[in-house]
Amino acid sequence: MRVLLVEDDPDMAENVRASLTADGHVVDLAGDGELGQSIALEGGYDVIVLDRMLPKKHGVSVVKDLREQGVSTPVLILSALHDEDHRVEGLNAGANDYLGKPFSTRELLARVRALWHGRDRAVQTKLSVGDLEMDLLARTVKRSGKKLDLQPREFRLLEYLMRNAGHTVTRKMLLENVWDYHFDPQTNVIDVHISRLRSKIDREFGQSLLHTVRGSGYRLEA
Amino acid sequence: MRPSLALLRTTTFRLALAQAGLVLSLVLALLAYVYFATVGELRRASDALADQEYALLERAYAEGGIRRLDQEVVERAASDSPFLYVLAENNGAVIAGDFQQLPVLPDNASDRVDFNFERAEGDDVTRGRARGRIGRLLNGPILLVARDLNDAAGISGRITRVLWTIAVFGIIISIAAGLIGAWFAARRVEALANTARDVMAGDMRRRAPVRGEGDEYDSLAESLNAMLDRLERLMHISRTAGDAIAHDLRSPLTRFRYKLEAALDTPPDTQADREALRKALEEADGLLDTFAAILKLARVEANASWRFERFDASAILQELIEFYEPAAEEQGRTLSGAVEPNLVIRGEPGLFTQAVSNLIENALKYTHAGGRVEVLASRRADGLIEVRVMDDGPGIAPADRDRAVERFVRLETARSTPGAGLGLSLVAAVARLHKGGLHLRDGLGDGEHRGLGAALVLPADATPAAAH
Repeated sequence: MRVLLVEDDPDMAENVRASLTADGHVVDLAGDGELGQSIALEGGYDVIVLDRMLPKKHGVSVVKDLREQGVSTPVLILSALHDEDHRVEGLNAGANDYLGKPFSTRELLARVRALWHGRDRAVQTKLSVGDLEMDLLARTVKRSGKKLDLQPREFRLLEYLMRNAGHTVTRKMLLENVWDYHFDPQTNVIDVHISRLRSKIDREFGQSLLHTVRGSGYRLEA
Repeated sequence: MRPSLALLRTTTFRLALAQAGLVLSLVLALLAYVYFATVGELRRASDALADQEYALLERAYAEGGIRRLDQEVVERAASDSPFLYVLAENNGAVIAGDFQQLPVLPDNASDRVDFNFERAEGDDVTRGRARGRIGRLLNGPILLVARDLNDAAGISGRITRVLWTIAVFGIIISIAAGLIGAWFAARRVEALANTARDVMAGDMRRRAPVRGEGDEYDSLAESLNAMLDRLERLMHISRTAGDAIAHDLRSPLTRFRYKLEAALDTPPDTQADREALRKALEEADGLLDTFAAILKLARVEANASWRFERFDASAILQELIEFYEPAAEEQGRTLSGAVEPNLVIRGEPGLFTQAVSNLIENALKYTHAGGRVEVLASRRADGLIEVRVMDDGPGIAPADRDRAVERFVRLETARSTPGAGLGLSLVAAVARLHKGGLHLRDGLGDGEHRGLGAALVLPADATPAAAH
């Protein structure tokens, strides 16, 4: 997919561009906020990755203006300022995700994919991965036609994994999207939740759907 | 600065002067009152007596004519009556009485008069002042009945003199008291100022003298000393924080460098190189986490513009317990909670969540396998909301509890476990931001394993709940 990267630090821009390119994306680069906004207005991008502190025009203003001008391309803001209030400011301006610097390349790639993939999630009422089915209205989950009994939090965890089926989601993404926690727990809390979910959706069935991606996170895939 | 002049400029001395002025005006008012109460009263009484005497003689004249009046006047003048009498002809020629001639002449039929008189008795001439009544009787004769004022004037003069003496002494004493007070005050304030100057000059150990009299200067000195203690402590903390940051960052940086160097120095070996890089990355992540924690703590402590909102602390606590419970169970620890519903707080929910999560993680970290951690939340009798995270681990000795919440302080018992020693500091900072506090107490255990009970006490939201 086509990614517009707006970043003024040349080293940082080159690293991010190289990672995105290696992950199979086509990347265009803009070095300041004004240029980034005018390129984005021309359209044709699947995801915009925007630094917060940009010369000429602030990243948050760029998103706000793009949204006012009707550009709905998903935007990921990168920022060294990632406290609650900064994040809320960025999301309120219209950004879809907010990633604090420093970040790992895997985290960035997972989020870019999730953004692109999740563009039209709102209209879905049913999700399915292999023989695993989720009904978002009835709040039910079935595998091979057998009803699975999930706690509300497990349901949300599975829903997020199913929406991003086929893509790796990181622990940080799960924390932020499933629990709305914006800090790093020191312990392996997420892993234990995943293993509990796995015991419910995978244990009795031949094929495993929930995979651990070593060093990155998890992927739900048939 | 010359002390004597400095003294005159002190507030205490000015107060003493004002007090002297007040004493003076009070004495003047008192004088006026006493004067009218005594001298005025004496005069009124003497006037009344004179009127009475005059009326008596007037009646004698009415009953017995001039002969009878003449007789009365002569008798009375000869007796030791306190009055002076004169009976005169229509033209002023004296018929009888104490004077050879009329000292004053009546204007009207009957008048109140004040006059000076001279009276010769043999060679003696007495001068005096008298006050009385003079009048023309029917058919012309003039009658004067007056009282020598020397007696009354003597009494009122004495009273006046006593009052003036009191006033002068009062003023002198109050000025002297002011000067002495000002001198004492100046000396004690000067001692405080000297302490402040010495501290500014770099002697952090200097303290203001406290006399133990429990007066306002002692209380000021105690406050100043408490402030200096706190300052010294903060300076000590920032010094040791610098050391602690250097220590906390230098060790992982050294390991980081060592791993990269070792990988470079050995012959290329894909497997070993990858392992070295993986470990280096881990160290880098640890360093970044420490930095993030330092920055976050600084931002919370700086009381930056956090957006406060009403939030349901009970719901957040319940979710946190559910969040950590599986991991705790996995590690062989029991995490349970008893959270009162509808505990509403006004604050920053993200920071509150992180603060409680720090307490829970801390408790899980220091609890031995098989141990238990309890999260209790309730509204106290004083209206504050208390969130207690209790464990049955080794706990913290009471003497070390204050230090445990300071930045970068890692107690001896905690040295072996990882963590930058910022967890409790952040909780304490979040508590302060919400105008609450973090209190460390005994936990669930007893004896050597007394456990730790960390109580986060926050004010409940005071604004009334929105209408439903």
